[in-house]
Amino acid sequence: MTSLTLSNVKKHFGKVDVIRGVDLSVEDGEFVVFVGPSGCGKSTLLRMISGLEDISSGELRIGHRIVNETPPARRGVAMVFQSYALYPHLNVRDNMGFGLKVRKVPAGERARRVGEAARTLKLEPLLDRFPRELSGGQRQRVAIGRAIVGNPEVFLFDEPLSNLDAELRVHMRSEIAALHKRLGNTMIYVTHDQIEAMTLADKIVVLREGLVEQVGTPRELYERPGNLFVAQFIGSPKMNILPIDAAAGAWPGRPAGAAHVGMRPEDLKLTDPGAGLIGGKVLLSEYTGASSLLHVELPGGEVFLVGCEGCAIDAGTAVGLTIAPDRLHFFDDAGRRAS
Amino acid sequence: MTASLTQRRVRILNQICWTLALCVVAIPFVFPFLWMVSSGFKSAAEIFGSPSLVPREWQWRNFVDVFNHQPFARQYFNSLYIAVIVTGLTLVLSSLAGYALARMRFAGAALVGLFLVSALMVPEEVTIIPNFFMMRWAGLVDTHWPLILLPTFGPHGIMATFLMRQFFLALPKELEDAGKMDGLSRLGVWWSIALPMSRPALAAVAIITFLNSWNLFLEPLIFVSSLEKFTLPLALSNFTDPYGMPLWHLQLAATSLAVVPILVVYIIAQRQIIESFALSGVKG
Repeated sequence: MTSLTLSNVKKHFGKVDVIRGVDLSVEDGEFVVFVGPSGCGKSTLLRMISGLEDISSGELRIGHRIVNETPPARRGVAMVFQSYALYPHLNVRDNMGFGLKVRKVPAGERARRVGEAARTLKLEPLLDRFPRELSGGQRQRVAIGRAIVGNPEVFLFDEPLSNLDAELRVHMRSEIAALHKRLGNTMIYVTHDQIEAMTLADKIVVLREGLVEQVGTPRELYERPGNLFVAQFIGSPKMNILPIDAAAGAWPGRPAGAAHVGMRPEDLKLTDPGAGLIGGKVLLSEYTGASSLLHVELPGGEVFLVGCEGCAIDAGTAVGLTIAPDRLHFFDDAGRRAS
Repeated sequence: MTASLTQRRVRILNQICWTLALCVVAIPFVFPFLWMVSSGFKSAAEIFGSPSLVPREWQWRNFVDVFNHQPFARQYFNSLYIAVIVTGLTLVLSSLAGYALARMRFAGAALVGLFLVSALMVPEEVTIIPNFFMMRWAGLVDTHWPLILLPTFGPHGIMATFLMRQFFLALPKELEDAGKMDGLSRLGVWWSIALPMSRPALAAVAIITFLNSWNLFLEPLIFVSSLEKFTLPLALSNFTDPYGMPLWHLQLAATSLAVVPILVVYIIAQRQIIESFALSGVKG
């Protein structure tokens, strides 16, 4: 177990700045998830931590060591790749023990550690199989096993579940969570799947265009997003945003300088037309089983998403919308949270 | 039941038709080979005297005389060891160079690629004279060095490099990253990951290179003059009487012996040879 610190870390490919100065500290045993839209630099940042990409400037510490120039294998990190990256010419046992062999760990010790990891991940019956003979989930477990045997201080996961089907993804997600609980290592996990981020993370780092937008626990990010981007990125369906000038009526608890108000679809409640804070007309009702998602057009033309449990409302129906005052999110002109 | 029986009959009939058609098409290719082997067992007079493929009298002596006429065993060995060395060298160099061109970002990489491609466009016959002067300057004329160096570093070696490069380009980059995470150096990634995964391409390069070296004629003709340093293609053209007329029975017996290693290679690696042509985009 060990901590990890990034100080003003930057990366550029030629003239393109991919990471534009990231400061971050990850505590011992913490599960940190990097999220962000495609091209935000989350995978690049992970690869910089792993040593697979050089750091253009700034400082990366793992424990107390500055590791900017340290080769990947000496950083005490292990990585699980999106495509699993299992060596197709080696069987599961050799795949898992390959790193130890390169590091000249004696065969006996190697067999012991591979056996231990295989037991932990229930891979024992598969040790003599080749990657092509394994299912997606099994390959993923082997990839995790390969990371475990090296006994790393930090685990890095680069979208490890994105190649699995939905059901297996849920299963592997819980396995990774259980693994973190059992091993207690520091883990950094890159994903674009919000559910993965929310369920796994002790701390989420939201990235956009090579910069950190906000760092916090899943609850903090959901309940107190630091800016408009995070507000709309975290949570599904995304938060409804309304410019305050365009909105009729007074907003309870509106702080000075607030220019936008945000409302999560699941916080909005339906009322009679004209009775709520705002009103509109249902454009579309999407039935999703347990609840429906209503698309409500406001008088100003904005379309709000509203979660609605057990309601059956036809398109064209006029509705009123209300919300508890403490569930309103206010943002200033620059998009920052206004308190 | 009846329908499936009929279907099976149609399938068998179809197969028979195809086999017969292929046999007919194969005649122009197989006949010269059979003629060569059968003529190797005939006397000089019978070769053009009888159209039959079966010799009237089996002349086993031809296969002994081949070795008495000139140092054929030595020449056979020359071809074999040169082909093995050229194949080994080409495998090492083309896989290293191909890997560098496919995976490493270095200044002038595009220029190196262009330079290599341009070398492919010059026919070997054009470069043979400057090469001769270069080898003479280096004191390598009438040695086997030109027969090793020119195929390895010449157009054939470049072709092998490009073949390997194409293969390495298709290898997933994440595998190499995984290798680096496991502690491999760049050379280690090449040796432990890239090479074991490119066995089909290596086999293809090995087979094509071996065949090319085995069949090399122009270079031995230009660079080698001592009889005991001849390679097979040159030796085969040397089965002549004192007036320079070919001794067909010996020449064809020797040629039959010369194709043995090629046949062995082909039978062992038939699949790879076909794949190799598919891989290189060269039509055989």
